[in-house]
Amino acid sequence: MDTLGRRSGLAPVGLAALLFAGLLVGCATEPPPPAPVAAPSFSIDELVGKWGLAAYHRDTDRDRTVKEAKAQCGKPVVINKGPTGGVMMYLADNPQIQEVVLKVAPDGTTYLGPPGDAGTADDRIVSQVGPDTFTTVWVDPDNAARYGTMVYERCGKKS
Amino acid sequence: MKFSTGFALRAFLAGVVAAAAIALPGLFAAAQQIDMNVVDQPGYQPTPEEEQLSGAYERQVVFFRTTEAPGTIVIDTSQRFLYLIEPNNRAIRYGIGVGRQGFQWQGIQKISRKQEWPDWRPPPEMIERQPYLPRFMAGGPGNPMGARALYLGQTVYRIHGTNQPQTIGHAVSSGCFRLVNEDVIDLFDRVPVGTKVLIRQAISVS
Repeated sequence: MDTLGRRSGLAPVGLAALLFAGLLVGCATEPPPPAPVAAPSFSIDELVGKWGLAAYHRDTDRDRTVKEAKAQCGKPVVINKGPTGGVMMYLADNPQIQEVVLKVAPDGTTYLGPPGDAGTADDRIVSQVGPDTFTTVWVDPDNAARYGTMVYERCGKKS
Repeated sequence: MKFSTGFALRAFLAGVVAAAAIALPGLFAAAQQIDMNVVDQPGYQPTPEEEQLSGAYERQVVFFRTTEAPGTIVIDTSQRFLYLIEPNNRAIRYGIGVGRQGFQWQGIQKISRKQEWPDWRPPPEMIERQPYLPRFMAGGPGNPMGARALYLGQTVYRIHGTNQPQTIGHAVSSGCFRLVNEDVIDLFDRVPVGTKVLIRQAISVS
């Protein structure tokens, strides 16, 4: 009885272990749940307007580049609303304007680029966003090396 | 790498022109009149091999008879050479890129300012063609203005470096004179503000 009693006592534990193992196997074969995607910390409408655009490659040049961007409003970059909720901007080396949207990666990085996955070669990383300024760097390493860090400074008052 | 096809093509064409210059000197002057259709490559950083000039456009001391004082700069736009006059009928000769057709000029100027790693502002026609360009690019490697700039009087023209060494020997600019970065650094270190600069369409070198 004692032995039978121990067996009786162990049986539920073994069953639970099997069930747990089964659950583990089940988990391993399930696709991972989609990573939560945060909303951008700012509305894409904030980008609509006229902007002075300047670029730098060395961080020591940032302050004077910001001043230069503000001084470029005589030949501004104009960003208008796009037809499907994005904004109309140029991609690197492409004179054809097209619609781009804000995209947030699981690590929280905000990208601006064509609709689709965040962080692709045509995207640019958006940072240092304020009411009258934002900064971008191309994801594509070649574009990033050639164009550097691009500073947009709003021309006039936000409409 | 963007532009690689265009760059290879331009490098090939430059090679063809150089080869023609060696093999067929009589055709060289005509070949030089071919303007390159070059798109600026802001941010492009050439390799040391690309920046190494050879043949006539390599920096060299040449015989140069002139009445101009040593230290004077003489630019021959038709031959794409810049001479820095030295004593005893000698000059240091640099290969240059010059203004494309309609953008060439001549005159006498003085160097009014010297600038290391000058900033770059693309001209309006370039922004019209490439509207994605920044309107200002702070100086540094990859900047189309190159490593140094020598401002010519109160004009908008400069002697400057370039990130497109394949354009040396060609008529490509908006009126500025470009040297490879190593050469413009060499020239920059040799001449002070106030240096006399003669810009000529053609000069006779005896």
